[in-house]
Amino acid sequence: MKGNVIKYQRDNIDTDVIIPGEYLKIHDYAELATHAMEGLDPDFHSKVKEGDFILSGKNFGCGSSREHAPIALSHSGIKAVLALSFARIFYRNAVDGAFLLPIEIDENAYQNISEGDEIDIDVSLNEIKNITKNQTYKMKPFSEIIGKIIKAGGLFKYKPD
Amino acid sequence: MGKTLFEKIWDSHIVVEKENIPSLIYIDRHLVHEVTSPQAFDGLRMNNRAVRRPDLTIATMDHNVPTNDRSLPILDQTSAIQIQTLEKNCKDFGIKLFDMTSPNQGIVHVIGPQLGITLPGSTIVCGDSHTSTHGAFGALAFGIGTSDVEHVLASQTIWLEKPKSFEIKVDGKRKNPHAVTAKDIVLSIIKNIGTAGGTGTVVEYSGEGITDLSMEQRMTICNMSIEAGARAGLVSPDEKTFDYLRNRQYTPKNYENLVEYWKEHLKTDPDAKFDKTFTLHIDNIAPQVSWGTNPGMTCDVTESIPSPEDYSKNDQNQKKAAAKALEYMDLKQGTPITEINIDRVFIGSCTNARLEDLVEASKVIKGQKVSEKVRAMVVPGSQMVKKQAEEMGIDKIFTNANFEWREAGCSMCLGMNPDILSPGERCASTSNRNFEGRQGTGGRTHLVSPVMAAAAAIEGHFVDVRNLDLN
Repeated sequence: MKGNVIKYQRDNIDTDVIIPGEYLKIHDYAELATHAMEGLDPDFHSKVKEGDFILSGKNFGCGSSREHAPIALSHSGIKAVLALSFARIFYRNAVDGAFLLPIEIDENAYQNISEGDEIDIDVSLNEIKNITKNQTYKMKPFSEIIGKIIKAGGLFKYKPD
Repeated sequence: MGKTLFEKIWDSHIVVEKENIPSLIYIDRHLVHEVTSPQAFDGLRMNNRAVRRPDLTIATMDHNVPTNDRSLPILDQTSAIQIQTLEKNCKDFGIKLFDMTSPNQGIVHVIGPQLGITLPGSTIVCGDSHTSTHGAFGALAFGIGTSDVEHVLASQTIWLEKPKSFEIKVDGKRKNPHAVTAKDIVLSIIKNIGTAGGTGTVVEYSGEGITDLSMEQRMTICNMSIEAGARAGLVSPDEKTFDYLRNRQYTPKNYENLVEYWKEHLKTDPDAKFDKTFTLHIDNIAPQVSWGTNPGMTCDVTESIPSPEDYSKNDQNQKKAAAKALEYMDLKQGTPITEINIDRVFIGSCTNARLEDLVEASKVIKGQKVSEKVRAMVVPGSQMVKKQAEEMGIDKIFTNANFEWREAGCSMCLGMNPDILSPGERCASTSNRNFEGRQGTGGRTHLVSPVMAAAAAIEGHFVDVRNLDLN
């Protein structure tokens, strides 16, 4: 899975900046996506491309249980969020609906991947290749069950063995 | 080895448990509101599924209801649609709904305990992160997203990896419990352990500092567990818990038998081990005021705004975050907290809008007027809280002081209804999150107790409320 990186070098990106409360009334996902990250980066909607990734620090997605957060990112074209750690409800929501991959990375990847870098994520090898910089980083493997739910396309499509 | 309270509740709710996969957990109560449920009901319809236990599912509208005159039409069309959608969904699926005209309407985490729906030892979920509030009654209560809402509606169960256990012990006695409140205790905890300090855990709050608290104060503590990243927070039930829930509208008929069972079973065994522990001594803690853009960025009212270097000596990211927060908040390092002028005051939210909160705040303002530079509002947590306060004459104390006295809802806690800050406005707020834009784009939030918010409304800036006569 290849794409370019939009980097926010900060911890605690919360659900209120990912999708501000006033937009939680919007039922249409495409419209919701036009407001993604608006609380932090008003240019996000104009710069994001289909297949991009977000890179950020610790505790990504802290705050509210709004599933609108991964939905707004997903419908903006974001395929994965790479972060040092995730708030648990965001992580769970991302997996439940298979909206995007929440990928836990280490400090090495966080520091070395820059805004705009093209990277290739290989979930089967638990590897992230930085095509722009010709580097390779490890990602934290998904637990078995999370991997299966993601592969199935979400909680409701997953059938236990 | 003994078990913790959390483990006991967990074990008694397992439907399926296998190695290496999450457990399937039974849910006793499912609380539903208008914002995180529409897609879940759509999903049920698409798959021809019914609600498995409508009798264990309770709905209300709180997040985007207007807090002005209820007889007026809702001007915001998207809000109106969301509210009508919940009405239709509850009707179609046979769910009890406390709508905008119901005397039981209110913030979902205020009405659950008030109606006796929240019970010790039970599992409670809701599509809202502050579901942790119900843990004050010794329930395992946590927030979920909309996919999980659909899963619970359809099956009354949820898949969950067993969280770790975290004991937060609150030791000692506050010297001035009217001025140093439960809000100050929980803000102190988050300041110490950080906004991710509880990630992946269920917190059990214990110690004299917790057992001393009333049920409403314990709710304030458990409410903000999520702000430390914890999935849930709970307190072992005691006589205060049992008294609170006795004779409520939905208290079970066999209540006294339940109480006997709870007394015996709902406590952590003396030899139980927690995965993690933290102790806070509260003998000398001061009233707290948040200065930054997450609840961990908080200091004593007697302190000054820290410099980014003082805030974090070693972590570059933290330093940068503090610098960004000061910029957003338009604050300068070294400014005494008591010299920060405010424009707005919001007394409300699932954290601090219960009767006791309003009573305590009213003591501060009695016979005084809100500063001319400040617009202040009280939004009771539920219509029942509002009615009780009005019967006590509390509303008059607020309105005589030029506070707005409004109808129940989440209101300015999250800026979904017309109650929002204008860009640049600074608010002393009794809510739970000071994230950028939380109370309206460009709004600046300081998290404080109801007593501090009330005092700030009168003075126009924060004050050390320990110097006020609050008895």
